[in-house]
Amino acid sequence: MSNIVLKGLSKVYAEGETEEVRAVNGIDLEIEKGEFLAIVGPSGSGKSTLLNLVGGLDVPTEGHVLIDGRDTQGLSEKELTRIRREKIGFVFQEFNLLPVLNASENVQLPLRYLKVGTRERERRAAEALELVGLSKRARNRPSQLSGGERQRVAIARALVTGPALVLADEPTGELDTVNTCRIIEVMRKLNDTLNQTFAIVTHDPMVAAYTSRVITLRDGQVESDLAQAAADLHCDDGETI
Amino acid sequence: MVKVILRNMWRRKARTFLTVFGIVVGIFALTVLGGLSARLTQQVNGAKSWFTNSISVVPSGGSLFGGENMFFTLDKVDEIQRVPGVKEAVAGIGLFVKDSQNFSFGAPDLIVGLETAGAQDLLKQLNVDEGRSLQSGDKGVVLLGSTLAEKLNGKVGGTVSLRGQEFEVIGILQPTLSAPDTFAFVAYEDALSLFYAANPFIKQTEPIASNVYVTWELGTDPEALAKDIESQVSGVRVISPSEAEKQISQFSLIFNAILFGIAFIALIVGGLSIINTMVMSVSERTREIGLKRAIGAETNTILGEYLLESAMIGFLGGLIGMGLGVLAIFFLNNATSSSNVTVFTVSLTVVIGPVIFATILGTLAGIFPALRAARLKPVESLRED
Ligand SMILES: Nc1ncnc2c1ncn2[C@@H]1O[C@H](COP(=O)(O)OP(=O)(O)O)[C@@H](O)[C@H]1O
Ligand SMILES: [Mg+2]
Repeated sequence: MSNIVLKGLSKVYAEGETEEVRAVNGIDLEIEKGEFLAIVGPSGSGKSTLLNLVGGLDVPTEGHVLIDGRDTQGLSEKELTRIRREKIGFVFQEFNLLPVLNASENVQLPLRYLKVGTRERERRAAEALELVGLSKRARNRPSQLSGGERQRVAIARALVTGPALVLADEPTGELDTVNTCRIIEVMRKLNDTLNQTFAIVTHDPMVAAYTSRVITLRDGQVESDLAQAAADLHCDDGETI
Repeated sequence: MVKVILRNMWRRKARTFLTVFGIVVGIFALTVLGGLSARLTQQVNGAKSWFTNSISVVPSGGSLFGGENMFFTLDKVDEIQRVPGVKEAVAGIGLFVKDSQNFSFGAPDLIVGLETAGAQDLLKQLNVDEGRSLQSGDKGVVLLGSTLAEKLNGKVGGTVSLRGQEFEVIGILQPTLSAPDTFAFVAYEDALSLFYAANPFIKQTEPIASNVYVTWELGTDPEALAKDIESQVSGVRVISPSEAEKQISQFSLIFNAILFGIAFIALIVGGLSIINTMVMSVSERTREIGLKRAIGAETNTILGEYLLESAMIGFLGGLIGMGLGVLAIFFLNNATSSSNVTVFTVSLTVVIGPVIFATILGTLAGIFPALRAARLKPVESLRED
């Protein structure tokens, strides 16, 4: 059964009065439940826009997004919010942490919106931070964290609810090789054990290599869509996973 | 939740401080004036109970508190006495204790001269704390209201000086927190001679009265009786109990109107500054709002957060303003206590009212900015910088 189906999906930005930008231009795609895929392509090719459309953050100009067979077109803002809250975890290109909350509180935020109790929230946030290797930084505010650490907090926030679908926009852009490897390792493990779907936008060929499907975008269209055998992870500290 | 909101407010310390300060100023003024109003209401209510026990008849053109320069001759008293339903028409003279007293807070210090024989019904309504009341045939003696007794340092058995004349204190009234506290009751004849002394150009051949206090027979409607007196006796103004109440209420009405005006200005100024601050906060935090919406916050959650923040600004401003106001009242009352004037009363309303007012104000002022925040589209907000 398909998790996500995109049909003739387009997003047009009317730039000024005459020029219009077709950020996403007629994309048809199927993403199975439990896939681990990468979306690559040059800057401006529509990767972020596509992710926003799939995640119900943005509405398409044309075409349809079906989540679990259900067309999101015509859903109210409230219903879209609910889908985002219950099914989707976002990692944004800019990590978008709240400056007044510490790392743990930032990670707890989606659980708060799911009305999870304080204790359970704290427990699960600690677990998610442990997963990304930031247990020691739980009480630090974003301003006290490095770029890489902030990115990992943002990843923990996306994973903490155990969403069926994780949409990650350049989640490893600020990470060194070792941490990139570890994050991908965590994601793959979750993908294996919980069958969560991962769609990862990336510029990093190493990250793409670790996935089992690579979708390449150019000018808002799918240039290529290739299945592959995911490379084995060899994180720098010598361990093979 | 509240913790996070306080942290958010703390991000712009100076701006939050200024906004809260704006509320503090308004609420401070409101609290102090509220204390003033509470005290005035107390006095007014007391004055009501004294002045509504009888029908007051004054020379036409006079008012409830009489006027020193208006009076009528005693045959008017007899005329009033003959109106059916009148039990007793008591001649009285009202004089200010001090010549120069043009303005006073609440009831003025007043010498009230009463025909002792006829006034027994009226005097019965006063509760004597020490000594005794005025009796028929008393001369050269005074029954002092509690505040006035303290002010003049009068003791039962001792003497006090009223407008240059010595009087023996025969009694002191219980405090009523109202008009009689500042009254000195003397015999009509004594008041008359004080009156003549104060007005040397008046012919001293005919006895006069500045007020006539009329009590009524049991079962008589005082309002109807007042109308009868008005129509049957010429040259008088009759102030019925209900009219007396109206006249006295006007005092507090005007004052409460001022109070309301100040509250209104506080509402406009404070409210606008909260709106301004919150609109700025919302636009500064557009990205954060977008993020929250993106990860599943309902519009109502965002709405609630910003309303709460705005209410908090109002609440804090209200709390601080009220605290400072009560402190000011405390010091002002202390400062005036040597002259035996209590200017302010701190009631529960005075304390809680302004805080509730400020909190509601904050909440209302937050509606527009909060709606703006809640209506932001997640994806557009996230793109903001
Ligand atoms: N809000 C917008 N208004 C106008 N143009 C936009 C907007 N968002 C994206 N674009 C344009 O759409 C195209 C795709 O953008 P984006 O999806 O961010 O690309 P990528 O993430 O692959 O770098 C770009 O040309 C970009 O300039
Ligand atoms: Mg992008």
